[in-house]
Amino acid sequence: MKEKKENTNQEINTPIIPTWCPGCFNFQILAGIKSSLLKQFEQGKKKEDFAIVTGIGCHAKIFDYINLNGINTLHGRVLPTCLGIKIGNPNLNVLGFSGDGDAYAEGMEHLIYAARYNADFKYFVHNNQVFALTIAQPTPVTEKGYIDKTNPLGVKFNPINPIKIMLSAGAGFVARIFAEKSQIEWIFEEAMKHKGFAFIEILQPCIIFHNDQGYKNRTYNLQENNHDKTNLKQAFEKAEEFDYNIINEKTKIPIGIFYQEEKPTIEEQYPQLKKLKEDKKSWKDIQR
Amino acid sequence: MEYSILFGGKAGQGPNILSIILSKTLTQKGYFVFLSRDYQSLIRGGHNFNVLTFSDKPVYSNKSKIDLIVALDENTIEIHKKELNKDGIILFKKDVESMYFLGRLYKILGLDFLELENQLKEIEKNFEENVKDAKQGYDEEKRIVCKVKSEKNKLSFKNGNQGISEGAIKSGLDLYYAYPMTPATNVLTELAEKQIKNNHLVLELESEIAVINTGIGSAITGAKTMIGTSGGGFDLMTEALSLTGMARVPLVIYLASRPGPSTGVATYTSQGDLGLARYSGHGEFNKMILAPGNPKEAEELTNQAFYFSQKFKIPVIILSDKHLAESFFSYNENPKLIKSLKSTNLRRYNSYEMDKFGCATEDAKIIKKNVDERLKLQKEISEEAEKFKQFEVYGKKSKNIVVGWGSTKGAILDAIKDLSIEFLQFLYLEPFPIKTKKFLEGKNIILIENNSTAQLGKLIAEKTGIITHEKNKILKYDGRPFFSDELKLEIKKRMIK
Repeated sequence: MKEKKENTNQEINTPIIPTWCPGCFNFQILAGIKSSLLKQFEQGKKKEDFAIVTGIGCHAKIFDYINLNGINTLHGRVLPTCLGIKIGNPNLNVLGFSGDGDAYAEGMEHLIYAARYNADFKYFVHNNQVFALTIAQPTPVTEKGYIDKTNPLGVKFNPINPIKIMLSAGAGFVARIFAEKSQIEWIFEEAMKHKGFAFIEILQPCIIFHNDQGYKNRTYNLQENNHDKTNLKQAFEKAEEFDYNIINEKTKIPIGIFYQEEKPTIEEQYPQLKKLKEDKKSWKDIQR
Repeated sequence: MEYSILFGGKAGQGPNILSIILSKTLTQKGYFVFLSRDYQSLIRGGHNFNVLTFSDKPVYSNKSKIDLIVALDENTIEIHKKELNKDGIILFKKDVESMYFLGRLYKILGLDFLELENQLKEIEKNFEENVKDAKQGYDEEKRIVCKVKSEKNKLSFKNGNQGISEGAIKSGLDLYYAYPMTPATNVLTELAEKQIKNNHLVLELESEIAVINTGIGSAITGAKTMIGTSGGGFDLMTEALSLTGMARVPLVIYLASRPGPSTGVATYTSQGDLGLARYSGHGEFNKMILAPGNPKEAEELTNQAFYFSQKFKIPVIILSDKHLAESFFSYNENPKLIKSLKSTNLRRYNSYEMDKFGCATEDAKIIKKNVDERLKLQKEISEEAEKFKQFEVYGKKSKNIVVGWGSTKGAILDAIKDLSIEFLQFLYLEPFPIKTKKFLEGKNIILIENNSTAQLGKLIAEKTGIITHEKNKILKYDGRPFFSDELKLEIKKRMIK
């Protein structure tokens, strides 16, 4: 075996060879996140300025392929972990990654509260509408009627609409994109410019268990179609256009930023955290 | 001398506050006070009471009999008159304010009215009305039953939860997360109140699951982090507790027990969660369990919890219960505290077994190496723990030995005062102090626990092979703490010559 390359200071690659299925859309997400990070480094940020948190599922393998500090945590607990890191060191740029099972099933309570707390971190949900790594069970966003071994009678419930949930919960940045490198790069930059919690859902069809690549041709860009992202009512209307059920020729899937509004962050509202940010310190630096 | 006063009434009438005011005066005068609290899970009405026992000598528990009852309602007399000693006094009057009774009580105890006025001044709220009501009572009362003088003792007055909070602050606490749950809640309020002055941060989060996972996030950035809960909340935390063992996260966890299973009896006491603490979290990983028996030990063991969690990057559980958490003690020893450094830096952490790059691995060699490292760590923790006081032995050398842990300490110490018997108190439950074996071997062991299955007894049997005789287990599991006089009788019954 060839000797593995040791991680140098600003090296963001790890020596691990990805184990996603060949052709998986997660490769697009990985490429987009890496190039976005390199761009951030070019603009002066360092690797140490970032922390990465992932859950459990196919999406979480991204932790092994990006050499950033952070934690590959438990299923469903990405958001409280991101919150803890951000409070522990408010100067870090925290990036959270979840799957749709992670974010919308086991972690749903945290999703509502992440919007409420509005800590300044960015949250990417790889939505492939299926529990892929445990072999094809439905998640809360799988279409009604979906059949697998655990649901031979078909799923009886309508999918939830995470965009509407995030809008209702008061999230200050609500976006959906398709798993394409250029789209990741665009939304990463927009999310970084936004101060506060950013919710980004990435439609990432599972090519093995939920192969809806037709999605891509059904998408249209909100920002290119006169959407007013400061208008909450309009955001809800756009969110209603796609209900995550099976698509047909009439389906239109809006992508882009549904809603954006800057609100006070948790770090700004507690004097202890505000001071840490001003002094560019973490709790670790406080000697008592 | 020793004197017991019961303050009873409806929730909202203030039996708790009245008893704390008098306790403070008595402590300032140099008297030892033990004050327990019995309250129901309701906000107004019902029946709550506090029992204050004070003495010129150390006292750590209540007895079953009362010398004086302050009845803020008639119901209190009905419920408690059978506990009253012969020649005992009942203070009761209709249509007066609560402070009126405190006035009468200060007179009966031969205390100067100024002592009461000073306490009321500290409360600030309704000062003038309170003084007026109290003065009426003070003037109406003619008896002086028990003359409180000034003793030379310089005493602290704290409950167990205040000991925990003080210990955390003095150990350099940065962050405390919790979800409200009795009897851990007043650590949350105590630390919240002091956060600006001490520059730490306290956050109440959406669930105990959020609490521990947020705690893990903060702890891996290097912040000294503590979380707190009771049994049910701790249950919710256990998946993430296992993560702290895998990823090596320094986290201090306060577990204040109440009777279970399930919601159990929310505002009463139990030592039913030792087994929970020991077996919590799936998989095999390192953790410590420390069990203080009074507020001073609560402060010291919280301090040691921070020390060990930082030194070995492990979770450390401080196991307490409602009786310790919410009972007030006055005491004259100062806690011995040590400094702990912040050991942790943000690096790559994983809930999977991981390789040297911080990436998930399924490699058999690496898995075995990681497990071996955890086993080695277990030894290192045990060795370091031996440098600390893991247990205490009290009393006179004898064939008989009483064994206990946690909040029963007070009643046991008071019960064995005049008995020829030893008392072994466990402070560390994990790692188990194996040196205790030589104190137990060949002895008539009398085990005292506030639970129904003798959980310490099981632990001792597992670690030492020493089995406590069934008839020598004194177990109380009605949600109430032990009374020292009743306990003394039970112990005497089981002693051998």
